Amino acid sequence: MPLANTSTTVPVLVDEGKCIADKGCTVCVDVCPLDVLRISELTNKAYMKFDECWYCMPCEADCPTGAVTVNIPYLLK
Amino acid sequence: MTFEPFEAFSDVEDLAGKLRDPDPSVRRVAVMELADTADPEAVALVGGALKDGSAEVRLQAAIALGEFDGAETAACLVVGLVDDDPRVARAAADSLAELKDPVAADPVFPLVEHERPFVRAAALRALKELRRRESLAHGLRALDDPDAHVRIEAIGVIGYLKAEEALPALIASGKDEVPEVRRTAVGALAFARSSHAGEALMRALDDEDWSVREVAAEMLGKTGVTRAVAPLMARMDDRDWQVRVKVVRSLGQLHAVEAVPLIAAALGEEVSNLRKEAAAALGEIAHPSSRPYLERYADDPDPDVRKNVRWALGRIG
Amino acid sequence: MDEIKDGLSEIECDVLVIGGGTAGPMAAYKAKMKNPDAKVVLLEKANVKRSGAISMGMDGLNNAVIPGHSTPEQYTKEITIANDGICDQAAVYKYAQHCYEIIEELDKFGIRFQKDENGDYDVKKVHHIGTYVLPMPNGETVKKALYRQLRRARILISNRFMATRLLKGRSGRIAGAVAVNTRTAEFLVVRAKSVIMSMGAAGRLGLPTSGYLYGTYENAANSGEGYAMAYHAGAKLANLECFQINPLIKDYNGPSCAYVAGPFGGFTANSRGERFIECDYWSGQMMQEFYNELLSGNGPVFLKLNHLHKETADHIEQILHTVERPSRGRFHEGRGTRYHETMIEMHISEIGFCSGHSASGVFVDDCARTTVPGLYAAGDMASVPHNYMLGAFTNGAFAGEDAVAFAGEVDFEDYDREEVAREQERVLAPTRREDGIPPNQIEYKARRLVNDYLQPPKVTRKYELGQARLAEVRDDMENHMVARDAHELMRAMEVTSILDCADMAAFASLYREESRWGLYHWRTDHPERNDEEWKCHVLLSKQDGRMTCEKHPVQPYIVPISEEEKDAYYKQRIKAEA
Repeated sequence: MPLANTSTTVPVLVDEGKCIADKGCTVCVDVCPLDVLRISELTNKAYMKFDECWYCMPCEADCPTGAVTVNIPYLLK
Repeated sequence: MTFEPFEAFSDVEDLAGKLRDPDPSVRRVAVMELADTADPEAVALVGGALKDGSAEVRLQAAIALGEFDGAETAACLVVGLVDDDPRVARAAADSLAELKDPVAADPVFPLVEHERPFVRAAALRALKELRRRESLAHGLRALDDPDAHVRIEAIGVIGYLKAEEALPALIASGKDEVPEVRRTAVGALAFARSSHAGEALMRALDDEDWSVREVAAEMLGKTGVTRAVAPLMARMDDRDWQVRVKVVRSLGQLHAVEAVPLIAAALGEEVSNLRKEAAAALGEIAHPSSRPYLERYADDPDPDVRKNVRWALGRIG
Repeated sequence: MDEIKDGLSEIECDVLVIGGGTAGPMAAYKAKMKNPDAKVVLLEKANVKRSGAISMGMDGLNNAVIPGHSTPEQYTKEITIANDGICDQAAVYKYAQHCYEIIEELDKFGIRFQKDENGDYDVKKVHHIGTYVLPMPNGETVKKALYRQLRRARILISNRFMATRLLKGRSGRIAGAVAVNTRTAEFLVVRAKSVIMSMGAAGRLGLPTSGYLYGTYENAANSGEGYAMAYHAGAKLANLECFQINPLIKDYNGPSCAYVAGPFGGFTANSRGERFIECDYWSGQMMQEFYNELLSGNGPVFLKLNHLHKETADHIEQILHTVERPSRGRFHEGRGTRYHETMIEMHISEIGFCSGHSASGVFVDDCARTTVPGLYAAGDMASVPHNYMLGAFTNGAFAGEDAVAFAGEVDFEDYDREEVAREQERVLAPTRREDGIPPNQIEYKARRLVNDYLQPPKVTRKYELGQARLAEVRDDMENHMVARDAHELMRAMEVTSILDCADMAAFASLYREESRWGLYHWRTDHPERNDEEWKCHVLLSKQDGRMTCEKHPVQPYIVPISEEEKDAYYKQRIKAEA
């Protein structure tokens, strides 16, 4: 039963210009109840790794620099 | 060493070093970490960050101080409140409003006289929840402030203290030129049982602003001003149904038997909220004369109206 | 991050609290306050800062019993009636007596309740009889304030550890729990003298109509681990057939917030803009009426605020868009809907277990004790009915205080090391496979089947088909599920809880051969309520490895309910319409 990679559009967007994850900030990754955000090893900025979002918004509300935007997932918007 | 899979209680001293990092983003992260320590030792350091050259760091510090309490925290926030950057000042105002320890009022008092209306309003907002008797004089003086926001916060301070001696001043604020000030003042009168307060509430029934009339109508029932029945009845023709709802509710609370025909007429209103309130009020008054009216509306299309009609009829027996 | 590592550590504590949402932090705090020398550990699958049902905040208390506004007796009576009489009143009454103290304590924590201009709680009358609603228009700081208290009290918080099974000793007493790290798959055994479970609702049981797995009514992290773990530990679970189904904003799946809009004059309306709900209190009966209207020619159902002043409607909008589920503002923006202009389409939620809104939960007494010695449960997963956020706080407090006292009287219970090894193997099995079915597909299928077969109206033949299909999915899950990293392993473990809950939902529903609680347990082939046979709890448990159900008597009422009062209530009722 081979696995496939199916593409999906993710609701949480991070403005890399504003994100200070490279300075040691992990707020958005910490506060996500579904644990779907990660810091990229390539860019050292936060991004949404898993499309498993409750669109609850702590990542956006708690981000100190206003870098995170939560959109409503496409399937229900 | 045993395995300790717990959130660390970071050492405040270590974080102090990070606060001196040349990169403001690193300093900002340090401020957040200091807030998470919940260690009172951190207050001075976070307070120091309110003097940082970077507005972003100062903003973070103002937010972080919301995690602490006491006079030292208040003294730090006072610095943030007069910051030139409005974001920092707003955050400091919000954090000041979170303070719970009454001693935190001391550093705040002088700011009630500050030249900027924003600062004066924020100081009064913080004092409200702290409920110190000394705040009363500040509140009373601020009732004459040229800025409406300051006047509203001043009413808050006085209202929370429930100070009888401040009644004349509160009553005067009920005539303020700004509707929101009048509404707040009328709401703050609710604790008073004096006849002057009652009269002020009755006068407010004729206010030009609907929301002031609404609060006045509500408060008259809540405070049990029986003399208010006639003026309330006169308000049953208010053009605004949300006001009429409160009028009906208060007439019910006041057990105004003489208002029964008028309330019964409201059973025919188009807005179902009003019909429902009328039925409930008739139930509270429970006078036999309302029975025929209620029976006529026993099959109202609205279930909440029907329910209240049933309840009212049950009360009349 | 996320790559699977080998590892097993063990720690010890007096009181282990599993779940850091609402009840858990309060339980940990109260335990620590009562005995500052006790070692209290709070374990959380996510991060305590923002975990649980109240992640972003809460816009009001629905069940505040505040002196001068309502009495414990009155509240107990209402909850008993709303639960069709199936209610052990002791726990409800105790809650009602103490919840005001908790409100005052939360106020000191910095949790913001609405106050009038004199600083008194601004309690609102929403229900026909009692007055229980205390709005929290600025309630977005609940978690922040709680977290601050936990840090000040120096509670040991262990984030990103997902408990998978409880450990018991030979005597049957609780010994601790096994947990797995959600980012490394390393194991942690926590030995504890008492354990409090506060792991939330089973909110990922049915599938939302949008088809998005995480677009649930409850916080999607609440996937029912508490129910599954209690079951496997041999604890009894009460009235699981009394499902949770809630009114909500269609597609967005967030709460409809009649409690917020009610005091301002907003209400739930049919397509003609008229009220249709007869029922007084939030209950399965209310949901039956909602369901009937949805399917009738008067449907669909709407939240109606457009008869209010624009300023009033805007004010409600502002509260709803900033406090509990703030992304709903963004949702309405996308749809171009404004509350003052148009009625907002509503729907009903997918099914779940949640005593916060209904009554399904791990069976507890008035001290939050389960049927396993040393094991406690509080919040949405415990059986105290309709307890909402304030119930989670209050019952969490009872649990914390009792559990720390219990821990003071006993020593650590021994556990079987073999059991831990077996549990490691069970958990890690999906990571040992090279190939197979990913957890999201197993989850989708299981939850789709829950919708197809278990959602009320409950039809016996459909339930039997559902059980057969779910058994096939279980076989796939146990033998073919594959997890490629630690994060996916967490999802895989959640799927096991979801399937356990689905099985329990089906089994309990088939056992109770009557209809009760309105829509929650509407059995088309047993359409009548049968008090003679079924005015009792149904307790489900695992005995000799098999699921069983038993009848259990309702404790004699403390607050008597007269026949007249019951009649008055039933007369208002609207029958189920097939």
